[in-house]
Amino acid sequence: MTNRSVLGNSVPRPDALDKVTGGKQFPVNVVLPGMLHAKLLRSPYPHARIVSIDAGAAEKLPGVKAVLLPQDVPQRKYCPVYFVPTLAPSMVQDMLIMSDTVRYAGQPVAAVAATSAGIAEQALELIEVEYEELPAVFDPDAAMADGAPVIHAGTEKNVAVNPVISFGDVEAAFEKAEHIFEGTYQTQRVHTCYMEPRVCVVDSDVAGNLTVHSSMQHLFGLREKLAFALDMPEGKVKVIKPAYIGGGFGGKLDIGYIEPVAALLSLKTGRPVRIEQTRYEDFISTTRNPIKVYLKTGISKEGRFVARYAESTLDCGAHATHGAEVINVHGMFGILLTYPCPDQHWEGKTVYTNNIIGGGYRGYGSPQGAFAVESQIDEICEELGFDPVEFRLNNSYQQGDPHPFNPAAKLDSYRFQDCLQQAAERIDWSSRKPAGSDQGVRKRGIGLGCQPLWVSGCVGFPDIYEHSGAIVKLNRDGTADLSTATVDLGSGQITTLCMIAAEELGLAADQVRMTYADTDTVPFDAPSHASRVTYSAGNAVKAAAGEAKQRLLEVAGGLLEAGPDDLEVRAGMVCVKGSPDVKIRVADVVERAEAPFVVMTEEGPQPTNLAEKGTIIGLSSMAPPANPSPATVEFVEVEVDTETGQVDVLRVVFAHDLGKLIHPAGAEGQVEGGFQQGMGYALMENLVFDADSGACLSSDFLDYKMPTAVEMPVKIESIFIESDEPTGPFGAKSLSEPCVTVPAPAIANAIYNATGVRVRELPITPEKILTGLGRL
Amino acid sequence: MSLATFENYFLPGNGREVVALLQEYGERALILAGGSFVHGLAARDLLSGVDVFIDIQKLGLANIVTDPDGLQVGAMTRFTDFEKVPEIQNDPGWGAVKDALSYPPAQIMNAATVGGSIAAVCPYFDLPTALLAVGGKVKVESNTGSREINLKDFSTSLFESSLGVDEFVTGLVLPQPVSGSVSAFIKLATNANDLAIVNVAVQINLDRSGVCRSASVALGGGVNEITLRSAAAEKLLEGQKLTDELMKAAGTAVQVDISPMADHRASAEYRSAMASVLTERALQRAIARLTRSS
Ligand SMILES: Cc1cc2nc3c(=O)[nH]c(=O)nc-3n(C[C@H](O)[C@H](O)[C@H](O)COP(=O)(O)OP(=O)(O)OC[C@H]3O[C@@H](n4cnc5c(N)ncnc54)[C@H](O)[C@@H]3O)c2cc1C
Repeated sequence: MTNRSVLGNSVPRPDALDKVTGGKQFPVNVVLPGMLHAKLLRSPYPHARIVSIDAGAAEKLPGVKAVLLPQDVPQRKYCPVYFVPTLAPSMVQDMLIMSDTVRYAGQPVAAVAATSAGIAEQALELIEVEYEELPAVFDPDAAMADGAPVIHAGTEKNVAVNPVISFGDVEAAFEKAEHIFEGTYQTQRVHTCYMEPRVCVVDSDVAGNLTVHSSMQHLFGLREKLAFALDMPEGKVKVIKPAYIGGGFGGKLDIGYIEPVAALLSLKTGRPVRIEQTRYEDFISTTRNPIKVYLKTGISKEGRFVARYAESTLDCGAHATHGAEVINVHGMFGILLTYPCPDQHWEGKTVYTNNIIGGGYRGYGSPQGAFAVESQIDEICEELGFDPVEFRLNNSYQQGDPHPFNPAAKLDSYRFQDCLQQAAERIDWSSRKPAGSDQGVRKRGIGLGCQPLWVSGCVGFPDIYEHSGAIVKLNRDGTADLSTATVDLGSGQITTLCMIAAEELGLAADQVRMTYADTDTVPFDAPSHASRVTYSAGNAVKAAAGEAKQRLLEVAGGLLEAGPDDLEVRAGMVCVKGSPDVKIRVADVVERAEAPFVVMTEEGPQPTNLAEKGTIIGLSSMAPPANPSPATVEFVEVEVDTETGQVDVLRVVFAHDLGKLIHPAGAEGQVEGGFQQGMGYALMENLVFDADSGACLSSDFLDYKMPTAVEMPVKIESIFIESDEPTGPFGAKSLSEPCVTVPAPAIANAIYNATGVRVRELPITPEKILTGLGRL
Repeated sequence: MSLATFENYFLPGNGREVVALLQEYGERALILAGGSFVHGLAARDLLSGVDVFIDIQKLGLANIVTDPDGLQVGAMTRFTDFEKVPEIQNDPGWGAVKDALSYPPAQIMNAATVGGSIAAVCPYFDLPTALLAVGGKVKVESNTGSREINLKDFSTSLFESSLGVDEFVTGLVLPQPVSGSVSAFIKLATNANDLAIVNVAVQINLDRSGVCRSASVALGGGVNEITLRSAAAEKLLEGQKLTDELMKAAGTAVQVDISPMADHRASAEYRSAMASVLTERALQRAIARLTRSS
């Protein structure tokens, strides 16, 4: 009988009922007694020096309790990204909580705490700031030109980081190539559009200790960054783990202005201070960086990649933040490692401009790369007459190949070819018609996009935290409590981790409960990001559950007169292997372990066994053993209205090799949510900015368009190709991010197939399609 | 300024009180009907200087009266209730109104009011375009009593109406379409909770031989500062048989009357091109109703 009784079955999410009845545990609902509300004053200018600030009138407004100005704020430059040490050499430390220099329109220059948000907002209008405007630049190419305004002193041509990676001899390889293709692909600035705003409540005590509630993706990162920015010992900062947050997607993967500002205002007033951002403030707090990719590819006569050259220019805006790392992930997983190619050269530039700052977003540089690489493959196949599926099959890594990123490991569970073949069959690829051949006003087309190689976490990458930990404690009613620092972003991390613990312990999924945690009480965990939780945190949870189980079997062994190795746990019972009738309830074992050592009997006090006493508990804190790569393929069918340029997505077939499927409904949810974000990126999402001031013009969802349930295809078909990843928890590897990466190129290629129009700049708006059709 | 700073909220029980409040607070006051557009206005800094809400939900203006001359619709009628009126559902002459009410998301259907939709004078709304095509009058009240304003004359410029400072909208009068009328509406938008990039409503009346006796073609969604009628298209259609070619030509004819706006949602060129496409499609949709009803 298999020992996998929990995994592979969909279960109700433990947080679901709470959420559909109001979600009272969302951080946005945290209310503390005596709480003040703070608001930030933001600069209207993109580049300026603050000459003076007069907050006298604001301070006098009844209800105002404290005002914070740049001179009240520690001037310690930091990198806000959670998953790296604050002073990581590969990152850039260029941020201040408040500065006397403004580098983008919307940068906070002052803050007010008051008894209501309305009063705080009125007070902001009373603050007089005198600015000396400085010349600003919004285009990365212009920012790199001679004579451009200097945004951060000490940088050359406003380039924050400039990675270059080469394999082989690319010039010689191009000379030998049969065909050469080149193109420039541009992506736009988008927001993750998490539903719960960034919000925090920070409290302080008389000794200056801070307690922090926040909607964020990383407890320990927030503690580290906050302590650093405020120049405090980390031990004085406690971050409370929210039971869940209302979405993150990488958009809450760095400390914002709100947490340090609320902390300083709390220290000033001795009261808890709450800051909730408006949707507009969220739009300008974190975005996916636009990247322009120039891509040149050499192809052999047989249709193999023989040479590749790429230049990527990333607009990081006023501060580097994630841009220093996004560019690397983009170069590696978006371009260089997508398909084997012996000779390659890539150069990335993360460029400062006076635009708003970037941030993390599912895929982390890969969507920008995939749009270029996968669109260009389609162009190559169209021109040279190759079938795009065959072409990719002939150019891909094979299962068992050395891992291209870490040659010490092998692509053991890699199933890219299966993904391609099964999905192609499901969409009926062979029925695809030549580009633009459909008759009539509405034309249909099929296209595909791939993420041939991805990660399960970040082990092996310089400067990136990856370890996880967990505590598993058995209760006397036979259930277990699991505590970890892993934040559930809404994607079902709680469910998955409870299922893994239940599987290991031999309990039912609903017998394991995710419980309270804060930075004082549980081991470090890296953030919920990078497709890592199931694999990395899953391994840690399995280890902690395994330790608790070992103790359980030891105690049970004493009672059943068997060695722990001869026992197993099944359906809440510890039994002797091979003799299922010799058994004892888990609850009874725990009860026994926690019962008093001496029990009173009719014969008087009787000692039991001292060695079996104590809570049955397991603890882990560990790095994951490896970084296995999944592969992803997506086919999309679209219909284009050639009079209006509007695109309907009719059908989606997604295939992914995820090792072992742990929670089927959760996995499908990842694919569907990812498609929604990827489709928005492809067709409509775009933050827009004033050309003169760089100010963001998109203020809410009336301006910023993303697909609603109405635009979504009726059905998204997920094919999960299972295999046993030897290093994964119960054979699992990762899923999340490629779901977002593949839709844009798949849709772009499907639109080409429908209309013959190739758009190399996202989003592919109706106007661009009509222009391509010569109708505008 | 966000809504957090609003200090004064009034819930008057009759029209006289509303007028008195409007007189007292003038430009500082905002009538609050369904409230569905207030956040949109605030987020775009369009409420500066406004800090008083006058909520008119207690005025009893949510009734609908049907008589042989047409419909009398109270200003506070919610979209959902308006949509359910049998005449709106069944009379092909009011098809444009029915179509326009098929687009808004559920939250807007339940919150938005007919009066608010008209009074906001926002060219991106759908219902006003449909109403302009089918024709009607806006009932308004002030301290001098009540009067009616032709829908065609109600909007004066972006967000501005011909209402006086102490006037507010109490209802809408829609005349019964003459028999042989069909109408339809079409909206172009990016997603299901978007305002129109372009929208077009038409109402046509055909005689037995299929010749167009009268036509109205209304366009909104930023093809102009305010929703407008295209006299050029209407003139082209009147007295003619509605062939495919003629409907296409009517689409082209609207170009004479529109002056599209460019903004971050669409270029003027795109709006202009779509005005023609949508006009032709709205006419086709209206004609299809004729075939079905005859
Ligand atoms: C997400 C979203 C989607 C939408 N989609 C659609 C759509 O698909 N189709 C569509 O047609 N519309 C749509 N709308 C617009 C919607 O129809 C309007 O917001 C609504 O009609 C306004 O009516 P209200 O009662 O909510 O007005 P309110 O928001 O209360 O007021 C709007 C304005 O009108 C004024 N006002 C209201 N009533 C009166 C009155 N009786 N007398 C004088 N002044 C008054 C107010 O002072 C205010 O200036 C959408 C709006 C949103 C926010």
